[in-house]
Amino acid sequence: MPRIIGDGGEGPLLFSERPDWADVTPIPQHEGYNPIAPIFYAPEYKDATDYFRGIVKTNEKSQRVLELTETVIRMNPAHYSAWQYRYHTLLAINASLDTELKLMDILAIQFLKTYQVWHHRRLILTALHSSSPPLSDPSASPSEPPPLDTTPKDFKAAQIELAFISRVLMTDAKNYHTWSYRQWLLAFFDDARLWEGEMSFVERLLEEDVRNNSAWHHRFFVVFGREQLPGDESRESVLKRELAYTKDQIALAPNNPSAWNYLRGILERTKTPFSNLRTFVEPYTKTRSSEEPKEDVLDLENPAPSSTAELPCVAALEFLADIYEDESENKENAIEIWKTLANERDTMRKKYWEYRIKELLENA
Amino acid sequence: MVDLAAHNLRPTPTDGFPSPTSDLQIQTENILKARHPSIPSDSGTSGVLQRNSHLQFLLRNLIQGFPARYTSQDASQPWLIFWTLQGFSVLGVSLDERNKKRAVETLLGLQHPQGGFCGGPGQAPHLLPTYAAICAFAIAGGTGEDGGWEKIDREGMYNFFMSLKQPDGSFLVSYDAEVDVRGIYCLLAAATLLNIVTPELVAGTPEFLASCQTYEGGFGSASFPGWALNDDPTPGEPLIDPTSLRPSLGEAHGGYTFCAFASWVLLLPYINNYPTYRPSYPKPSINMKSLLRWLTLMQGTEIELGGFKGRTNKLVDGCYSWWVGGAVGIVEGLLASDGKQSSHVPKAEAEKNEPEEAWDDVDDSLYNRQALQEYILYAGQHPAGGLVDKPPKNADAYHTLYDLSGLSAAQHRVIPNESRKKELLACWTEEELSKDKIEPLRQELFAFALSWLEEEGTSKFTGSNRVNATHPLFNLTVTHSEAMMAHFYNRKVPSRYKASK
Ligand SMILES: [Zn+2]
Repeated sequence: MPRIIGDGGEGPLLFSERPDWADVTPIPQHEGYNPIAPIFYAPEYKDATDYFRGIVKTNEKSQRVLELTETVIRMNPAHYSAWQYRYHTLLAINASLDTELKLMDILAIQFLKTYQVWHHRRLILTALHSSSPPLSDPSASPSEPPPLDTTPKDFKAAQIELAFISRVLMTDAKNYHTWSYRQWLLAFFDDARLWEGEMSFVERLLEEDVRNNSAWHHRFFVVFGREQLPGDESRESVLKRELAYTKDQIALAPNNPSAWNYLRGILERTKTPFSNLRTFVEPYTKTRSSEEPKEDVLDLENPAPSSTAELPCVAALEFLADIYEDESENKENAIEIWKTLANERDTMRKKYWEYRIKELLENA
Repeated sequence: MVDLAAHNLRPTPTDGFPSPTSDLQIQTENILKARHPSIPSDSGTSGVLQRNSHLQFLLRNLIQGFPARYTSQDASQPWLIFWTLQGFSVLGVSLDERNKKRAVETLLGLQHPQGGFCGGPGQAPHLLPTYAAICAFAIAGGTGEDGGWEKIDREGMYNFFMSLKQPDGSFLVSYDAEVDVRGIYCLLAAATLLNIVTPELVAGTPEFLASCQTYEGGFGSASFPGWALNDDPTPGEPLIDPTSLRPSLGEAHGGYTFCAFASWVLLLPYINNYPTYRPSYPKPSINMKSLLRWLTLMQGTEIELGGFKGRTNKLVDGCYSWWVGGAVGIVEGLLASDGKQSSHVPKAEAEKNEPEEAWDDVDDSLYNRQALQEYILYAGQHPAGGLVDKPPKNADAYHTLYDLSGLSAAQHRVIPNESRKKELLACWTEEELSKDKIEPLRQELFAFALSWLEEEGTSKFTGSNRVNATHPLFNLTVTHSEAMMAHFYNRKVPSRYKASK
């Protein structure tokens, strides 16, 4: 358990040892009963949280509360009450939110996986760029709800924020909170100049790891999650571009469920029939045979599987069966593929493929 | 020398194009395949549920307490209690009266004076600990002086819930905290158990849940409301136009998917019986087909012992046995109650000489229940007691419960039972139903939630590995769910043992 980080060599004192905290009455966690399933805290943690309960009780909001909550948070970043109280204190004493954001730069990297570091960041960002800070605690807020936000959002600040998130994603490319924060940020500021850079950002990440599903989801968010398309783009050109990109990624590494899910996603979103992709998909559903002469015809619209691809690819078989399912003359072929998947290619999902067969037969 | 190909232990194809994801995947497969049931192990006990050592693990945590590394769970104290108590329930063990009393006393110390439960004494109320505390009360509490149920401040809790409600039908998990579907699940499960659901509480919530479903079929953590806010809101209704774009924040994820989907199912009586908050808005819906596809796609292959992943291209992890495996179980239940999933499934191929007679086959399953049990039994158990994410990780309280609950979900088929539902609906008289306009909603919520029963003859277990069935929507035993709901809905519930015949 880390002790309070001091900047010099001095050993940090417990709050109970500090004269400047002598006026606060610490409140122990359990009084008058013997709790079940207790945690054995380190003395530093027990000390800090006893004082935290103390100041919550007296409703103190002051500079030293910022120090106290930081101490608690550094020992347990999931202590949501310390975060909440810290936020209310920042607002109450009109503390510098820019300073707070700098501290968050450090804590976010250190406690990447906790909800609270990212949410606190979001609160601070919102407070900095809205006419009034968000506040929902009835005991902390005025009775009137905050007015609807009408201030223009600060593009520069959002840009800096995006750069920060990019750095964090370099160390943990699939961190859920980081990604959803990035998506929130883009939508919240909703500035065309911010959205613009996102495609190349996603492509850079997918170049590093074509199987990074978080990056694929982000791509979908950027392409389809926006209220408005940039002026010069039409829905058709977007679909065309997305299909081309996704096919290329599938060709590189065909057994990549992220890319196939994305392909299905864009087709469903744009109500494009799967059968439009039959020519592309078919080569991925066949076993590579050595006798077959190597075709050198380059079809840019339908890139062939790479030479090292392991074929046939389960996701392609599934895709082809979905095409067949909707074609009255091909229903038997769909069933054949599902049988192959159930018994040979994807045996773990046998039950699911059998269910698909049954569904088709019942709806026939 | 074991022939891996003979056991179908094919590594996940990397297409000669490695990336960080496939590198990590291969490393994990190498660890897991050594645990495969077909590989001889030196201990000779693998594949057997180490009931005693898990009980010891739970008991040590409950009675002696948790070591200092659990300080990270200091704001999740009701969870530590729930994980442990429900672990006992799944293992078929109940607590002695003295410790039940201690548990109730501890839980009451976590209630906030203004309603809701806190992560620890003196902390702020929060939706997640509220669910955990209510479920722990269902297990250890009861009526009467020491039972604690009458001391739950339901009115305070309802007001707390309402004060967290957002214009888009979602809820903050705590004041000035995040919105996500975990919080909504926790709120709805607690509100259903305690009989405090009202149409005002949940208006707009189904639409919000639906907006969190991603293109993959699973659900993300939340959605962005900004573009869907109505300019001319009617007082008292959600301020959102559900036909507007509300993109999901975060990719499809097993934990969020369970929470969103279980919330959706808990709300079905409301969704089916109440009009949308504006007549012009369409009924909210989710895509069950893509959900089922995504859920089953999360099951790892043979080399991963059939454990579940939480996201596409991530690693298998024991806790998703419950979050994802359990969610497939809920789909099975809905299909069965729609009459869609009949008991005669044509086999893609005749089952020839099934080697393990002990695993009797359940035709109505939509995933490989046997493999999931094997993952938990062969890879999920820590030799020193407790269960894990995956080897070589340490056991912890969270994985111990969700691995065990996943094992339970894989062993039992708990689905809505029509005749049971009729019996439960009959717990209301016409007069009671007409005296309050939301009484019919309460009746439907009660009867639907408690109609989920284990289908007879579908328990899949091998002797000593059998664990108790658990309610797919609450993760409590049906007995505990029923007792608590009977109390808070003030109904005398007819015995289950004749109903299921
Ligand atoms: Zn886990």
